[in-house]
Amino acid sequence: MTATTRPVRTTTPAQWLRKNLFRTPLDSVLTLILAPLSLYALYLAARFVFVTGRWEIVEVNLKLLMVGNWPIDHMARISVTLVAFGFLGGIVAGLVHARQVRRGTASVLNMSRRERILDLARRFGLILFTVLLLLALTSTWGPTITAVGVVVAGVAGRVVGGILGRLHLPKPVAIVLVLLMLSTPFLLYFYLVDAVPLARWEGFWFNLSSAAAGIILCFPLGVLIAIGRRSKLPLIRGMSTIYVELVRGVPFFVLLLMAHVALEFFVPASIAPSRPVRAIVVFTIFTAAYLAEIVRGGLQSVPRGQEEAARAVGLSPFSVMSRIVLPQALRNVIPAQIGQFISLFKDTVLAGLAMSIFDMAQVASAITQQSAFRGQGLIVETLTFTAFLFWVGAYTMSRESQRLERKLGVGTR
Amino acid sequence: MKSSRKLAALLAVLALVAAACTSDSDGTTTTAGGDGGSDGPATGSVYDTVMSNDEVRCGTRDDLPGFAVVNPDGSRTGFDVEFCKVVAAAVLGDAEKANLVDLATPDRFTALQSGQIDVLIRNTTWTAGRDGQEGATFLTTTFYDGQGMMVNAGEFSSIEDMDGVVVCSAGGTTTEGNAASEASRLGLDWEVRSFEDVDTLQQAFQEGACDGWTSDVSQLTGLRSAYPDGPDALTILPEVFSKEPLGPAVRDGDSKWAQVVDWAIIATIQAEEWGITSQNVDDFLDSDNPSILVFLGQAPPEGAVLDPGLGLPTDFAYQVIKQVGNYGEIFERNLAPLGLERGVNALWQDGGLQYAPPYRG
Repeated sequence: MTATTRPVRTTTPAQWLRKNLFRTPLDSVLTLILAPLSLYALYLAARFVFVTGRWEIVEVNLKLLMVGNWPIDHMARISVTLVAFGFLGGIVAGLVHARQVRRGTASVLNMSRRERILDLARRFGLILFTVLLLLALTSTWGPTITAVGVVVAGVAGRVVGGILGRLHLPKPVAIVLVLLMLSTPFLLYFYLVDAVPLARWEGFWFNLSSAAAGIILCFPLGVLIAIGRRSKLPLIRGMSTIYVELVRGVPFFVLLLMAHVALEFFVPASIAPSRPVRAIVVFTIFTAAYLAEIVRGGLQSVPRGQEEAARAVGLSPFSVMSRIVLPQALRNVIPAQIGQFISLFKDTVLAGLAMSIFDMAQVASAITQQSAFRGQGLIVETLTFTAFLFWVGAYTMSRESQRLERKLGVGTR
Repeated sequence: MKSSRKLAALLAVLALVAAACTSDSDGTTTTAGGDGGSDGPATGSVYDTVMSNDEVRCGTRDDLPGFAVVNPDGSRTGFDVEFCKVVAAAVLGDAEKANLVDLATPDRFTALQSGQIDVLIRNTTWTAGRDGQEGATFLTTTFYDGQGMMVNAGEFSSIEDMDGVVVCSAGGTTTEGNAASEASRLGLDWEVRSFEDVDTLQQAFQEGACDGWTSDVSQLTGLRSAYPDGPDALTILPEVFSKEPLGPAVRDGDSKWAQVVDWAIIATIQAEEWGITSQNVDDFLDSDNPSILVFLGQAPPEGAVLDPGLGLPTDFAYQVIKQVGNYGEIFERNLAPLGLERGVNALWQDGGLQYAPPYRG
């Protein structure tokens, strides 16, 4: 890379200031008012985090905040699960990379080593920082070993995935591999509930896993309903419309409350599912309705000619939908879909409130009443910590979706 | 037309698969889960449910100092929590078989009616309306509480001095209503301000926005002991202007289960009366007092082990005392650290209200 390809910055700091902050008299006034205010706010926030904040309550209750009352004896199962997901994520990343290399669309190929490292840092820096922060608060080795295990498994998975992607595997082998990967989350689920029933999933672990379950379950349902709303059959179309309008018309919180208190009056308590299951069902039902509308918007954005052309070359209706229309439709609405998923992730705390599930926000509020901490207004600290973890999760989802958009060229083709 | 029909068929199949998956995930958790496993509302006695579940699902909370709080290791402690354990120890012989179910204030009675919980021990006041309309039966009162008033030390010496003041509460509508009716009874002008939670109220109080802070005396005592300026900065006025008997509640119309819970609690009071504690209970197994032998499930010198037909094991009182303790121990462990004194909750022979009916045939 030569120097001429890069624009050389010629502006001095003074010029930059004048251009960006003091361009007009109004700009100057606004800057003079807002700059001290924002600096002061920054100062207050920094002082709270580093000086006045009493974070001992978070440190003492970290396990409770993260996994609630999960038995210590079974903590290893969470570690195994996280490591397995790290490996799985690595394999998927490796496969995707190999595919892009094959097609010549891998963006990293054009990057220098330094840029690749920067890219990785941008992607995983925040997560890494958060994990290191959490590890600094722990007093046992388990979490650290787990974190190292996840990283190692992720790298190993990436390598394995890259190799698998380059091999030309026979179709049966490939299918078996895909099935194996798809079934891993379910196997892990049974591995976990075998030791700790879903009814006892608490803390941030509940928020994270129930959001994941909701997202996985609502996606096929939402897509089906979106297609159903475009069906030519009045029954399917009507049912899909009724579903969407009925579910969207009821406040989310009310649905959760109904699932919590009303269900037992219709269903015998012996077969009534536990609270987290009800929460996940409500998440699925509710998010599917919104997702259906988002996907329907995507379907409508695909030019009719695409479908007609696909039919003209003799594709079956299923292929037309699954290979031509749906991929374009879903690609077009990635931002809205991810927005809905982020919203679901955050709304899991409402389930904690409505159903008295001991989720992270409930833990954050309950621990302030412990004899060592009560009466000191420490809810500010515990809620700040909670908000930070949720923000990290939501922001990561947002960043990854932007990356996905760039890769799929949303808005550029 | 043909294509849409195929698509419809596909949709139907996928919908069925989706439905199967959902119900499947429900099924697995019910068998593995802790919430399920009881009969529906009003079928049979809860006693049978408890026996078949091999656990007592006890509705409680996790954020009330002294009564029920969650520890960093996830376990719960408190006065109410220990009475959950008392019931479990009595019925199932194991205090650890108390499954503590967190409940929000608005759904505590619904949870009881619908069979989500077997017994409600959640700082709940026994009132006529709750007995009559909420489908709950209240049992032996474990703690006699009452609403009081806390002020900055030296500002007032009696509630009657408080005219034209701002009184703050965080206890919800009952607390507010009690304060309002007390003010009108005394002909005082109080502005009652309500707060969402105790921490915000405390802040407002510290900033001088409230002249009085009203709540149940047990809670005021706890708040006072943890007050940032020290407990001496606050005074709890002597007047108590409401009756708040707190005790366990079970579902209406289930006398079998009600008497089981009742006698489990009575055993703690009886044990204190005889001075039997978790430490010395074994020494009483060869007591000279036949009543104590009967109480602990031992055969008295002339006679057999008494089974009064309550549905409890004959040694239930021994298990309760051995595993949890007597009433005084439970009080000392949980409420005394808050600064609460026995007061009306002393034994009847000490001038209090705690009285155990006799355990005999």
